Amino acid sequence: MTGPLASALTQRSVLICVGSGGVGKTTVAASLALRGAALGRRSIVCTVDPAKRLANSLGLEELGNAETRIDDARLAAAGLGPRSPMFAMMLDMKRTWDELISKLAPKEKQERILSNRFYQSLSSALAGSQEYIAMEKLWQLHARSDYQLVVLDTPPTAHALDFLDAPNRLLDFLDNEAARWLLTPALAAGKLGLKLFNLGGSYVARQISKFTGVETLQQLADFMLAVSGMNEDFRERARQTRDLLASGSTAFVLVTGPTVERLDEAVHFHTLLRQNEMAVAAVVVNRVHEPVPDLWWREAAKLSPPLRGKVEKTLEELDVLASQDAIGLAKLAEACRPTALVLVPRFPLDVHDLPALWRTGGYLVGDAQLPAASS
Amino acid sequence: MLEKKRLLIVSGKGGVGKSTLAAAVALESARRGQRTLVCELNAKERVSMLLGRPEVGPEIGLLEENLWAVDIRPQEATREYALMVLKFESIYNAVFENRLVRTFLRFVPSLQEIVLLGKILYHLREQRPDGSWRFERIVVDGPATGHAVSFYGVPKVVLDTVPPGPLARESKVMLDLLTDEAITAAVLVALPEEMPVNETLELCQALRERVGVRPQAVVLNCFIPPRFGREDPSLLSLNRPLEQVAQSHLERERQSQAARERLCAGTGLPVFEVPRLFHPSFGRAAVEEISRRIARLEE
Repeated sequence: MTGPLASALTQRSVLICVGSGGVGKTTVAASLALRGAALGRRSIVCTVDPAKRLANSLGLEELGNAETRIDDARLAAAGLGPRSPMFAMMLDMKRTWDELISKLAPKEKQERILSNRFYQSLSSALAGSQEYIAMEKLWQLHARSDYQLVVLDTPPTAHALDFLDAPNRLLDFLDNEAARWLLTPALAAGKLGLKLFNLGGSYVARQISKFTGVETLQQLADFMLAVSGMNEDFRERARQTRDLLASGSTAFVLVTGPTVERLDEAVHFHTLLRQNEMAVAAVVVNRVHEPVPDLWWREAAKLSPPLRGKVEKTLEELDVLASQDAIGLAKLAEACRPTALVLVPRFPLDVHDLPALWRTGGYLVGDAQLPAASS
Repeated sequence: MLEKKRLLIVSGKGGVGKSTLAAAVALESARRGQRTLVCELNAKERVSMLLGRPEVGPEIGLLEENLWAVDIRPQEATREYALMVLKFESIYNAVFENRLVRTFLRFVPSLQEIVLLGKILYHLREQRPDGSWRFERIVVDGPATGHAVSFYGVPKVVLDTVPPGPLARESKVMLDLLTDEAITAAVLVALPEEMPVNETLELCQALRERVGVRPQAVVLNCFIPPRFGREDPSLLSLNRPLEQVAQSHLERERQSQAARERLCAGTGLPVFEVPRLFHPSFGRAAVEEISRRIARLEE
């Protein structure tokens, strides 16, 4: 067991898998947690939206948001016996948000917040809010210190910046100078239902309301009023999350695929993480096609038609994919220097069960290696 | 199937080849002689890159005969929209160029979607001096699944929640265009894998029920056509690696078939297969090949 992820698994207590959607982030996260447990660390993987078969193999079918211990029998059936227990959970965004509000908001204000349209859009749609709540969950799991290793699988991100920026954006929202300045009459009045705020009194507000409608501004005022006073708690929480991300116990694992359209995103993400002084343990390149060994070609040539033609056609295609991937990998390695690349091959079948997770983990921790990785 | 539709919304999970499909559909449409505009939303301009053309940016640019492209970005679109509403640039500058106001507007729900969508639909209604459409066909390379429903659903949501006013008026016009079957059609892009198929089925239902946009076809990208017979791997059993090569290919053929069947049954729409292409580098040549393969979509 060697390489950057092997040491991250023993030395870090939080691993955050980031990357765009559809690259196998969840699989990598689950494999890491499984390997962590095998190494004797009590581990949990927190996933966002796992494929059904993967969720089933982890035993997550009905349990949803709850932290679930992977059944020993299930592990034994797969020929695995980790030294410490492994847990898994799915993250329910909306519920985590609601819990957060219930914890931070005074009783009498909770209902008003939970039913406000702005809160609803904040908790479900606002760019960055998913990322924010994933961080919140991470902080909770870490703070309870029930686990020695927390592996977080993050929501697919359209814009890399949303992720690191999430706590700040939330604070922006809650503590928006502009909103305060626009809505000052309402905030000062301290009560709603009276004259909310006098749009006539502000030239700027009047212009904006032409654009958004008056009601929208009133709802916003209502929300701001309800959450005012909670800002300090949010600020404190956001600061703690941010500290956790930057601390020595956390490392990021950037997951990507070898194809060109994925690479740009991965490089961009990597650059941002480094700019923000976050530790990047490794760039995991998933589903890499290996060049076809010469022996296979020689063997294929011995076959008789039509089977020979079918096999050779398939080998040709695999070679095209392998050469595409090789070009991508070289570019990626160059752009992400000095962060190491960890390659996971394209398996003949998709990774959906515990033995396959274990095999994936072998490549992650360096027990197995692709030829390309050693060059 | 799509021939008469003026607004084509290409939608699907991230990484399924949505931009490639949008480029291919637009290319085919332009080749048929329709003045075609392809719109990307605050993206990294994949379409112009795929077609081997320089970036066009937030202003509409000509890519080739009959084919224009634009990258619609929130800030520029907000400005254009605000100028239309407020009429005077000086007011816009005083109000909207204010840093504080800009931060604030970012948080008004749906506003960004409305201005992005508003710009697309504005170009849909634009006419030339002779009264013909400036663009006969607009292809939208829309946001990935998760955001697609909330994006195209915005006019309806706004109408349902916002009292009469400028936003509501705009939204009504948008909703009418989006839900007009004679004008608008969605094309869903899927991959022959479990998650993308699930998402496509959900997307199809949500577009129908929550948005009112009619999906007209599914494009199943990276399809693996049949090659090996069921008994072929066993004929290779003396050679373990080659047996696995055949077995793996056969499994992907099965997945492709299964995906096709699930999509057919789940959406009730025609499913068009685009086989996985093995080009050494993915660019114009690949897009051209795909555009030929989906030419039937138009008929």
